[in-house]
Amino acid sequence: MTPGLGIAVRGVLRDAVDAYRDSPQATAWLRQHLARFDEPLRVAIAGKVKAGKSTLLNALVGEEIAPTDAGECTRVVTWYQDGPSPKVLMIPRDGPPRPLTVRRRDGALTIDLGGTPAERVDRLVVDWPSQSLRATSLIDTPGIASMSADTSARAGAFLVPEDAPAPADAVLYLMRHLHVSDVRFLESFHDQGVAKAAPVNTVAILSRADEIGVGRLDAMASARQIAGRYRRDEKLRSLCQTVVAVAGLLAQSGRTMRQAEFTALSTLATAQAADTEPLLLSADRFVRASETAPLDPETRAALLDRYGLFGVRLGITLIRRGIDDPGALSAELVKRSGLDELRTVLTTQFTERRDLLKSRSALLALELVLAREPIPASVPLAREVERITAGAHEFTELRLLTALRTRVVKLPQDVKAEAERLLGGDGGTPAARLGLDPSADPAELRAAVLEALGGWQRRAESPLSDRSQVGTARTLVRTCEGLLAALPR
Amino acid sequence: MAVPAAMELVDLALRAAHAYERPDLAVRLGHTRHRLEDPNVRVLIVGEFKQGKSQLVNALINAPVCPVDDDLATAVPTAVLYAEQPSVTLVWEGEQRRRSDVPVAKLADYVSEAGNPGNRQGLSRAEVGLPRNLLKDGLVLVDTPGVGGLGSAHGAATMATLPTADAVLLVSDASQEYTAPELDFLATAMRLCPNVAGVITKTDLYPHWRRITDLDRGHLAAAGITADLFPVSSVLRLEAVRSEDAELNTESGFAALVTFLRSEVLARADDLDRRSTSQDVLAVADQMGATMRAELAAQQNPQHAAALVSDLEIARGRAAALKDRSARWQHTLSDGVQDLSADIEHDLRDRLRVIGREADGLLDAADPADIWDQFGEWLEGQVATATSANFVWAGQRAEWLATQVAEHFAAEGDAVLPALRTGRTGEVGGHVDRLERPEQERLSIGQKLYVGARGGYGGMLMIGLATTLAGFAMLNPLSIGAGLLFGAKTVREEQARQLARRKSDAKTAVRKHLDEVTFQVGKDSRDMLRQVQRQLRDHFTSLAEELQTSVDSSVKAAQKAVSGDENVRRARIRDLEAELDRIAKLEERARALVPGARKVLV
Repeated sequence: MTPGLGIAVRGVLRDAVDAYRDSPQATAWLRQHLARFDEPLRVAIAGKVKAGKSTLLNALVGEEIAPTDAGECTRVVTWYQDGPSPKVLMIPRDGPPRPLTVRRRDGALTIDLGGTPAERVDRLVVDWPSQSLRATSLIDTPGIASMSADTSARAGAFLVPEDAPAPADAVLYLMRHLHVSDVRFLESFHDQGVAKAAPVNTVAILSRADEIGVGRLDAMASARQIAGRYRRDEKLRSLCQTVVAVAGLLAQSGRTMRQAEFTALSTLATAQAADTEPLLLSADRFVRASETAPLDPETRAALLDRYGLFGVRLGITLIRRGIDDPGALSAELVKRSGLDELRTVLTTQFTERRDLLKSRSALLALELVLAREPIPASVPLAREVERITAGAHEFTELRLLTALRTRVVKLPQDVKAEAERLLGGDGGTPAARLGLDPSADPAELRAAVLEALGGWQRRAESPLSDRSQVGTARTLVRTCEGLLAALPR
Repeated sequence: MAVPAAMELVDLALRAAHAYERPDLAVRLGHTRHRLEDPNVRVLIVGEFKQGKSQLVNALINAPVCPVDDDLATAVPTAVLYAEQPSVTLVWEGEQRRRSDVPVAKLADYVSEAGNPGNRQGLSRAEVGLPRNLLKDGLVLVDTPGVGGLGSAHGAATMATLPTADAVLLVSDASQEYTAPELDFLATAMRLCPNVAGVITKTDLYPHWRRITDLDRGHLAAAGITADLFPVSSVLRLEAVRSEDAELNTESGFAALVTFLRSEVLARADDLDRRSTSQDVLAVADQMGATMRAELAAQQNPQHAAALVSDLEIARGRAAALKDRSARWQHTLSDGVQDLSADIEHDLRDRLRVIGREADGLLDAADPADIWDQFGEWLEGQVATATSANFVWAGQRAEWLATQVAEHFAAEGDAVLPALRTGRTGEVGGHVDRLERPEQERLSIGQKLYVGARGGYGGMLMIGLATTLAGFAMLNPLSIGAGLLFGAKTVREEQARQLARRKSDAKTAVRKHLDEVTFQVGKDSRDMLRQVQRQLRDHFTSLAEELQTSVDSSVKAAQKAVSGDENVRRARIRDLEAELDRIAKLEERARALVPGARKVLV
């Protein structure tokens, strides 16, 4: 809300660069973070092995760039960022960065490390001209609890480094079901430093959602229900912003649907039911050679590979219900995959909070420098960091949001939901905070703010409220006042 | 199935034991019979959640018995076994020990996560009886609740039940290759259970299931695990049975799994039954024959009778010595138990110390008030894993000790009756595999104690800790208020001080908890060992007594044998030969019980 936060953080960073001009290491580190401020938001995609991280990345980009495979596939942390032309840069642990040749097979990028063992590579940076990467860079990570212990150690070290703030501003955590190890991993995002707002930069995703209902047509509905249950789960609430169900493969293939595939699906949909039904029974049957079945086995195999049995079943059903052009089918598949929902969440949770997340990363980095290399000038700098952290209402809101979610501060259930919403738990726009329709006109907004304001003022002054409730109410009063001030008159 | 044939043989031997007035041998045969009467072969179906365990059971028995859901489904272990009429029995153990029958349709209300969330009703298990051919031979399929990671507390409990299972099926779906926890589980299971196999489910949904199966085989080979893998599709199997489509059934892959259950699991249990019954009967027959052989020898060579008697007197002395405290097996046993007790205690302390250190590290890194819930769960899981690993290890060591004692006993026992053993194979040591069943009981007792300890102590301490911390949480708002008055610096100092105190209090609580666990589990281990010791001592003492009785009656028979009348002597020899012939027939039947060509590792 206050545009001042970004400016203030940049200011203190520049002051720090100035103060540390004698230490090349610290200066480089701080400059890097200053530069990072203007870069796109970095979103890492993390999760256990085979959770569908690369597939989701492809779906978000809308192109099959990250290589995917049935076996464990991504072994090196790979950054995907917007660039003028396709380019792959390998950054080894020791030694200078080395460009790799860009090769594509069936659209997907094949990355050959050129003989360097995976454990020696720090990361790969892929430049890719894409609209989708302009606002956010995506980072693909190796699976956690991966078979090769070293691979998962690499992911862990990247996402939760022991000695430095995480290189990612936000994390999409993919899980197929909520496992204990998932919870443990999410917990490790808890940080001790500046904002103390653990769940702020994490969104959990119930990935491969179509498989939860073992590929039945209503699989997505039941996956959404489970995501809803997780969303309400107290424990998970304290660990991430929200939970969304996404069928990654469906989203990826839906976004990249080709005309030939639509034709093939249509052929299947219009063929005799007696001929297609046996095909849809199992993956093996779908690709088996048969005289009566429509299409040749190779086409069917390719289709299955791209869409999965669920995608094929869904595609055929949708065409039978009357969708007759590839664009409409593609849109419908993407919609059903849950990708749209995920994008909305990304916008409300990450993009709208870009400044906040960036400031948080930068302040974490600065705090580290101040703690590591104390110089006389670090005292006023530390005070300045403290002032920003304590003074910026955004951080206060974040802290309170976390406190509410982790039940450190207790409120009655209905009031708590309102408080979380007002603090930006469902999105940062005034309408979202007030729980109104995005198209609500200023008069409605004003009425809603005034009502909320009145309620929280009463709570702040009520003799029945205890200390923590009074504190919470006061913060919310300020939030409401801020909202009111921002409304056009 | 061995049971009828083996049962018949045991009954025959029992009649003989009564006829020859050897009640001591009859007792031993009674035990054998009792063991045969329980033909259940338990197959544990385990795996992480949502892998299709319940659906696998349903497809195996072709009935929608175990509730299946897209969200968590199974909350309570469900044993499916044979019954003439479909029936459901709920079993509570522990304090409120009881069983109750409920209508079959109501099962889901008790075992599913929807009907009984988090097993609020405290059920130990549900037993479902179904008239199915597959189950008729005593196969019991146990569907376990899916666990969040096999390393969790549930996983540890599953691990503790492994030694009581005859086979374990690890269920993992074809969406991905084995993960590290799954492989660890398989490796442990291999050590605890004779038959372990992996089932890869949902092959209908995943086109790449062959790749995944191959990858899994590779992982198993790399880890040195020899377990069969069965890719199956429960959906296709159910559909195949519904539409009576043989081809679809083949595609479902269930034929191989059923064959495995029948030919490996059931047959192995069957084999074990036959083998141990045969050995018991042979040992009993040998002892019954010993008396008669002694008399026969004396009757045939009256001039050597005196020498024989003196030989037998020496044997009697040896048999008596075998019963003595100074016998070598007695030493092996008492020394072994002492060593074992020390080792197990040390192992437990060591494991808990490691947890304690880790816990300290965790508490140092974060504010206990923030992480307490998760931390408590983590601690409980770690402690459960450690104690169950300790128990499993103790069980294994105890078993090893039993074998050791049996060997020493056999070495001495063989020396007791050299004169009368007429070249027969040494059946005195035939008790080694008899120990297998008592071993299971011991473990299940230990495990119950352990589960009790976990629930009782874990729960109490956790609550105790939570309230201690609640006390701090109440201080928080106060400090915030104070902070507003005294400024940010004071707040920070105050907060730091409180944090430090919270941390040290949390650490003390953890140490106290670990102490309690050490105390309780240590006591359980010692109890278990004492029980092992008593059991082994009783077992071998009774064997020694049997031997002594045999030698005694042999001595008496040899002494009274020498009669002057040639005709009486001839008649007696004929009688004895006839009796010995009967015993020989019994032995022959006992030997025939074991399928000759097959060699099974016991």
